[in-house]
Order: sequence, then C-alpha cells, then structure tokens
Amino acid sequence: MYLKKINKNFKKFREILLLNSLNNFLTIILVFAIFITFLQTFNWLIVNSKWTAVTTNIPLFVFGTFPEDQRWRPFIWIMSLLTICFLSIVPPKWKWLRKNLLIAWIGMIPLGIFLLYGGFGIQTVMSRNFGGLTLTILLTVCSSMFALPIGIGLAFCRQSSLFVVKKLSSIYIDSMRAVPLIAVLFFGQLLIPLFLPLGLEIDSVWRAIFAFTLFVSAYIAEDIRGGLQAIPHTQIESAKSLGLNHLQIIRFILIPQSLRIALPALTNQVIGLFQNTSLMSILGLVELLGIGRSILANPKFIGQYIEVYIWLASVYWIICTLLALMAKYLEKRLKIA
Amino acid sequence: MHKLLSGIAFLSLLISGCSSSYQKDTSRLDLIKKRGELICGVSGQIAGFSFLDNDGKYKGLDVDICKAFAAGIVGDAKKLQYRPLTATERFTAIKTGEIDVLSRNTTFTLSRDSTGGNGLSFAPIVFYDSQGIMVKKESNIKNIQDLKNKSICVGSGTTTEQNINDVFESKAIPYNPIKYQDASQVSASYLQGRCSAMTSDRSQLASARSGFPNPAGHIILEDVLSKEPLSPASDGTDNKLADALRWIIFTLITAEEKGITKENIDEKVKLAKNNPQLKSLRRFLGVDGGLGEKIGLRNDFTINVIKATGNYGEIYERNLGENSDVTLSRNSNKLYINGGLHFSPPFN
Repeated sequence: MYLKKINKNFKKFREILLLNSLNNFLTIILVFAIFITFLQTFNWLIVNSKWTAVTTNIPLFVFGTFPEDQRWRPFIWIMSLLTICFLSIVPPKWKWLRKNLLIAWIGMIPLGIFLLYGGFGIQTVMSRNFGGLTLTILLTVCSSMFALPIGIGLAFCRQSSLFVVKKLSSIYIDSMRAVPLIAVLFFGQLLIPLFLPLGLEIDSVWRAIFAFTLFVSAYIAEDIRGGLQAIPHTQIESAKSLGLNHLQIIRFILIPQSLRIALPALTNQVIGLFQNTSLMSILGLVELLGIGRSILANPKFIGQYIEVYIWLASVYWIICTLLALMAKYLEKRLKIA
Repeated sequence: MHKLLSGIAFLSLLISGCSSSYQKDTSRLDLIKKRGELICGVSGQIAGFSFLDNDGKYKGLDVDICKAFAAGIVGDAKKLQYRPLTATERFTAIKTGEIDVLSRNTTFTLSRDSTGGNGLSFAPIVFYDSQGIMVKKESNIKNIQDLKNKSICVGSGTTTEQNINDVFESKAIPYNPIKYQDASQVSASYLQGRCSAMTSDRSQLASARSGFPNPAGHIILEDVLSKEPLSPASDGTDNKLADALRWIIFTLITAEEKGITKENIDEKVKLAKNNPQLKSLRRFLGVDGGLGEKIGLRNDFTINVIKATGNYGEIYERNLGENSDVTLSRNSNKLYINGGLHFSPPFN
C-alpha cells in the first residue's frame, strides 16, 4: 500500500522534474543551490553566530528601560492581555464573564495606563522609560482600541443621508488614505509639538498613538463600510417594520453583522498596525526594533546585528502568527453562532 | 475666505505672543531646579557615547556629560531622565522644550548656532572628532585619490554625508555614495563588500571596527575630511542655562588640569578650606568668591560635578580609554598642557 503510494509519488516527481535533459539540468542546479544555502545557514547558526546580544538582554527586549524593581507592572499587564485574548477565543462557561468581555477589553487601556505610568500609590514612571515589547504592545493596543470606535463612527457617517456629515467623513477617510503612514507619524512627532504653545507638552508615546489612531481609523472605516454594504437592505426594512428605532437597528443588526463580515480585514489592520509600530524606532521611541538598535550600539555586542535582527523578526513573526490564529478561531466561532 | 485667513493669522499671533512672553520670564535653569530633575536628550545608539547597557541603563561619554549637568544644576546625578532622540528630531526637541539639554554627538556648526539657523547655544566642545574613511587592508587603497569611481557607504541625515560630498567634489574625484539611515547598516554593508570604503567620524569608525570579525584587516585612512567638534547644546534664547552648562564643562576640564579626581575631591576640599593661601583652588571649589551664584548655581557646584563623574580625563578613560570596550587614543582630546585642545578659561 505504502510502497505503491511512494512509487506513484516518485513517478509524479520524475514526470515533473526529470522529464528531459533541460529539466534534469535545472533540477540538479536547484537542488545544489538549496543544499548550499542550507549548509551555509546551518554552518552560520551553529558555528559563527554569537547570541550574547540576545540572550543577555531578554529583559531589555521585553521591558525596555523600565525601572528594574517595577518590571512586574508591565508583566502583569501583558499577562492580563494574554488571558483576555485566550478568553475571547475559548469562551468561558460563566455567562456573566462572557457578557462583560467587551468591558474587560475596554478596561485593558486604563489598566495598562495605570500599571505603566503609576500613580495612586505606586511609583510613577515617565513614558521615556517605556520600551521594548511593552511599548510595542501599548502602541498597538491603544491605537487599535481607539481606532475601532472612530472607524465605526466614520463608516456610519459615510453612509449617512446628511450631506455635510457624509462629505466630511469621506474627505477625512480619503485624505488619510492618500498620505503615507510615515508622513502622519512625522507630523505627530515633529510638528504637533511645534504647534502647541510652549509649556504645554504631550508626551511622545501619546503623540504616536494619536497619529496611529488617525491613520488606522480611516482604513478601519473602509473595512466596516464593506461589511455594512454586504448586509441586505431588506433586513433594515424588516427591522423597521418590527418597530425597532434607528439606534436599535445599528446596535443589534448593523454593527454585529458588519463587524463579523469585516473581521478578516480588521485582523489585517491590527497585524499591519503591530508591524508598523516599528516605524517609531526612526522617530526616537525605543520600541522592540528601537531597543534592538540601542543594544547593538553597546560596544560589547557590536557586529551582532544579524543575530539581533533574526531574533526581532522571529518575535514579530510569533506575535503576528498568534494574532492571525486568534482571528481564525474567532471567525470559526462566529460563523457557528 | 478672507475672514478665515485673518482668523488664522490672529490665532497664530496669539499663540506666538503667548510663547514669547512665557520664555522671557523664566529661564529653563529655574524650571529644571524647580522640577528637581534634568531631561537630557541622548542618542542611545552610538557606541562609546550613549548606548543601553545590559542592566537597562544608558552609558557613554555623552551620558556622563548629562550626569555632570544634573549634578551641577540639581545637585544629584541621579535626578536625570534620558530621552532617546534621532538625528532628525533632536533640534525640534530643544525648541519645543521636550528636553533641557542635548548631549547627542552633535557637531558644533555656524548654522546650528545662529538664530537664523537652528538657534541653539553650544556648550564647550566635549570631544574633538574628525571625519575619516575606513577601507579593507587588502584593497590597497592608500588615500582619497585611490577611491576614484569606488562606492562609499555613508550614513544620511548628518554632516557626514555633506562633508564627503564637499571633499570629493572639490578634488573632482568621481565616487558613488551609498546612503543608509543607520550606522549599523553602514558597517554591515561595508563588511558584505557592497562598498569599498565606509565613512563616518573617526570615533565611530574605530568603535565599528572593534566589533568586526577581523579588526586588524581594516585601516582608517590618514585623510581628514572635516572637523567634527562635538558639543552639548541648549536653547539659544536662554543665556542663563547656557552659562551654567558652559561652566560645568569647564569644571570637568579644570579639574583634570588641577589634578582633582573623584577619589581625592574630599581631600582637596579639606585642603582648600584649611589653607587660605590656595586662592585659585578655593575659588574653584566654591570656598571663596561665590562664583557659582553668579551663574545661578550653588557655590559648591564644582564639588558635586566632580563627585558624580570625575574630571574630564576620568570620563574619557571610562568610556573610550585603554580599558574600555571602545579604545580611542586621546590625541586632540588631551589637555592643552599635554598637546591637546581642551582648555578652560580661568574660574575668576
């Protein structure tokens, strides 16, 4: 049985790859090239690479320059984020918890701000000391949580029958989509402080979150609009005939369905946002990529840039894959429901 | 339309009016003392000058200068916050008041100092650098002429890029610049052989070379492309703060000249207090003369500075000396009495 299968596969293999002399030649060359590449990579990984820049700096990569004795705070926040992600994928048995999951998600932002900035009994930490993965997550979570409601609002405004509202929101969305993200970020980091009167200061982390929110909300609005347009108009009419008012239609019919339809696109936005936070490293925030570059400047680790960048790439890869998996489970669950 | 425009003009007048009146009343120096903390802009990505150590603390020569400032102004080197800045945003950060002092490997130039330019005020030079070119030993390149039609890796957005262009253009040597945003990218692509030479400040070249697999296989050419006097900077409209910063740097240099170190400072203070005839030492350490008060600091600010960081020589040794990770010979960074360029006006 197995032999037959192998034989069949082998035949197929021969048919595709070893059909004539040209194909033979190409196959041999390719196999050789792949072999050499693997050998080189393996050789580098085992023999030449030095991972001290990564191994001795793991806490720095995660917490940045956060005071050492206070590192439990970002740790608790990241852990509670993970927990709530897990709860969203695998819904808990208790109904009250399931009902309040949204509130818990919204509560993550004040919790994060409290744990990171401190105050109210715990030591205050300035945002200059935020860094590494903590800062990357803070930027992603805050920007996406702010951008989602704004995006939903913009999408509804764009569908509105009021001319001014409709025009304003479409002008906003179109102009935001016509500007590259890096320009918006430069605006946030370099121009906003110049416009503010002296003495009034918004810290750079919030300026970044502001710029990301402005940008991403325009894209989210378009994703949601796609979802809204996919809902058949008959549903709204039947809702009206059932006596639901405008708000109820939005609350019970439009938002849940459009969010469900837009979920894959929204996942895309979050993953894109997560990766785009690395742009902040050229604007002076020491997030994951930025902290990697600061560590590379340490004379002890000069020249280990390949190792550090491989490490950073794998961290980004793992987190993005987790996000994608989470969205996949969520999609599956919502379809059944 | 007309109304809108005049409205905008009025608003901007109002804002600028507010900001200028704000600036005149208070010096940044008083603000720092009131806040009890100095905010210092650093790079965080330059070996030997400012980088993150394993314990998550910034280290380097630029960082030690920040510590000296904090010790001199606030009285405690620990009352200090760092703000990592990129080359592009460093001047905006001073103008907007996000940082008090910039100690970020910044070259002192006319256009940065002038009110028509960046409007900064530079403290005395803390490091005399010059731009150089590094090549591989086996390439047999001996001087700039040999680099004809070769490609050179260069970091963009700094004076480095402009200098190499000026030199090659004035000598009419065609060359091919390959620009990178980041210092580590420059050395990476140089090592991969994408360009036959890399250019940067000599201190940077030396520190990059120390991390190469075979440091002896690379040489830094004798040709000097430019002068790069690196010095801390602050807002140009604030003379009071600029004075304080200036004399804190001079404190470091004078301390080395007088042989006062972190170790013997207590002894020297005792000596000065007991011997009324040691006039210049007494003035320097604030026993007599009340010099500190004249620049808005405590009279014994020099003692705090030296206790925090040691004298200039100690700072240099710690970050760039023989036993440090980035070894650079002191050359023009010696004191003037030893044939270098560091010189401090008298504390009188």
